[in-house]
Amino acid sequence: MQIDFGARELTIKLVYYGPALSGKTTNLQALHRAADPSAAGRLMTLETRDDRTLFFDLLPLTFRDKMGLSVRLKVFTVPGQVIHASTRRLVVQGADGVAFIADSQVAETQGNADSFMDLKENLKASGMQLSRMPLVIQFNKRDLPSVRSDDEIATLAAQGREPVYLAVATQGEGVVETFIGLLHLTWSGLDAEHDLTRKFGFDARVFIEEVASKLGSQRSLPELLGTCVGGALDVLKPEAVR
Amino acid sequence: MTNAATERTAAELALGETPSFEELVDRAALAEMVHSFFELFRLPIRVFGEAGQILADASEQPALYAYLHTSGAGRRALADVVTRVKTLDPGRESEAMFQCVTGALYQISSITYDDRQLGRIIVGPYLPPGSGDPPESLTALDPKLDPARLRELLAEMPRGRPETVTQIVRHLTKTLDLILFSGHKAWLTSSMHLASVRESFRDLSDKNAKLQQAFDRLKELDRLKSNFLATVSHELRTPLTSIIGYSEMLSEGIAGDLSPDQREFVLTIHEKGEQLLELIKGLLDLSKLESGTMSLRKADVDVVPVIRDVAQTLTPSARKKNVELQVHADGVLPTVWGDAERLRQVFLNLTENALKFTPDGGTVTLRVLPSYMERPPDDDAGFVLMATRRAAVEVRVEDTGIGIPEPERNRVFDAFYQVDGSSTREHGGTGLGLSIVRRLVDAHDGLVHIEENAPRGAVFVVRLPCRRTTMA
Repeated sequence: MQIDFGARELTIKLVYYGPALSGKTTNLQALHRAADPSAAGRLMTLETRDDRTLFFDLLPLTFRDKMGLSVRLKVFTVPGQVIHASTRRLVVQGADGVAFIADSQVAETQGNADSFMDLKENLKASGMQLSRMPLVIQFNKRDLPSVRSDDEIATLAAQGREPVYLAVATQGEGVVETFIGLLHLTWSGLDAEHDLTRKFGFDARVFIEEVASKLGSQRSLPELLGTCVGGALDVLKPEAVR
Repeated sequence: MTNAATERTAAELALGETPSFEELVDRAALAEMVHSFFELFRLPIRVFGEAGQILADASEQPALYAYLHTSGAGRRALADVVTRVKTLDPGRESEAMFQCVTGALYQISSITYDDRQLGRIIVGPYLPPGSGDPPESLTALDPKLDPARLRELLAEMPRGRPETVTQIVRHLTKTLDLILFSGHKAWLTSSMHLASVRESFRDLSDKNAKLQQAFDRLKELDRLKSNFLATVSHELRTPLTSIIGYSEMLSEGIAGDLSPDQREFVLTIHEKGEQLLELIKGLLDLSKLESGTMSLRKADVDVVPVIRDVAQTLTPSARKKNVELQVHADGVLPTVWGDAERLRQVFLNLTENALKFTPDGGTVTLRVLPSYMERPPDDDAGFVLMATRRAAVEVRVEDTGIGIPEPERNRVFDAFYQVDGSSTREHGGTGLGLSIVRRLVDAHDGLVHIEENAPRGAVFVVRLPCRRTTMA
């Protein structure tokens, strides 16, 4: 995160991580499509010829509150292919929050786990701890056959710490929910660490609701946050933001 | 990463900072574009950077302004216009219009990228179509200014509909935005390339350092092992010399007559002592060769007498085994550059080895031939220039024994290795002979390998280079 008190400006870095072809770029594309043009910049993709991410995708989103505070969200994806290890290490540096995009297909279960270990290692290499990183998990590609069942994911999610979202990113389902969950969790973490609410006189709930509406969601924040399964962090419970 | 601020990753740079206009857009090319705009629309245009510096200018001073400059009041009024146009902030709307004392208009547009203002475009002064009479603000400026002249010069001013000009400038801003976006993307890609290469390099350097550490440790262990071997061999030899010496004296009856049994036992002690000494000497040689402390006294050596001497030495044991030992050395052979005593050891070991594995009635042949060796160039380039051929002598030790299967041919040169563990007991030997051969041949820049001997047996081929002679 970067804070510019003079310009009343905050820059937050969010990273979409996950195995190759799990739909990280598709998530960003769906967010970009959903976003109000006044808030979203151009989606920049640094990709190879075969449509795979080479370095990263970058979606800049900017929101301004009535008090003149501007919050710049920089949403990055990493390249999933194994060979781009060093690039992933670079992109993940300085991340304030991570959305892990997992592939729901049964055959990809090990790939998800490997990529998650890779995330852990790369955070460690940059002096960060996965256990202290605001993290949400999305099970994408729910529309495909031979995916892990809702029940299985819900059962596992209930035992885990991170909020888990189900998504079909190609159709935009679950994309905004995942993003809002990540933003909420990240904001709570940053606020606890830097006392942003007091320093900026900032209403986080109003802000996140504003972001949700700029992303085309008609639902209230508690409703949006309630779409996740599992997740034991109190800050995510709807009553905590009331 | 421990890199300095100058080596920040592109991802970090993308986070907060956008490079400046001048970093993303080529100034000369921008000037060309601005001139082309001017030629097309005949509207004066200037592009300013974030700090107010002019980046491109395609405007001529209107004759009207030149005329106003002749008057003090006119000059002051124009200076005021310039200041106000340059400092006018189009704000969040990013567009503003300013009207000059002459009634002419200026269109001011922000160049923004990623929510940051990078510069401004100013188009003007121009007049809306139709306006003909000088406005009062102009005529009242200075009575010395001639109204007719003012009207005449006003008519020469560039013309444009303000709505059209606004649209044109919007289009220009969008074009610039495209250029900025493309520039930013290319800039990020190249920064990311550099950062990735640097990161991979750092990663590989770490791994290299670890490997080097492991390698150094192993090398040190190997050195310690060789030292240990040398010390132990040396310390073992001293008492052994006494055992051999005294058992020999006993067997010769120096300390009194021995019964046949006693004599036989003493001879066994003596014989086994000799065997042990050979083994220790072999170990000592090996450790010297490994540690590189064995010095070779090199000279031009004629290989044939060495071979004949070896054959002569081993003829009795060949005869005992009923194996025929032959030497073939025909033609004129060059001398090799080596240590005659060590070469003798090489061929003695090889011939002993051949005799050991050749059954009753077999043949061992020592063949000496002229040959050559090639030193291959580093890669394929310039092969004809780089490959050097050195004259060499080839010695072939052929036996009709059990042979050596292909996969084992390289390993037999390892210390203590025998193809079949059980054959050590059957055939005896220390298991060091061949590894000493390999090391001695290496020390002579030579090569040793094993071929098959049809219909049975093995051929040990040793090639030794001659000194400084190259063949055509």
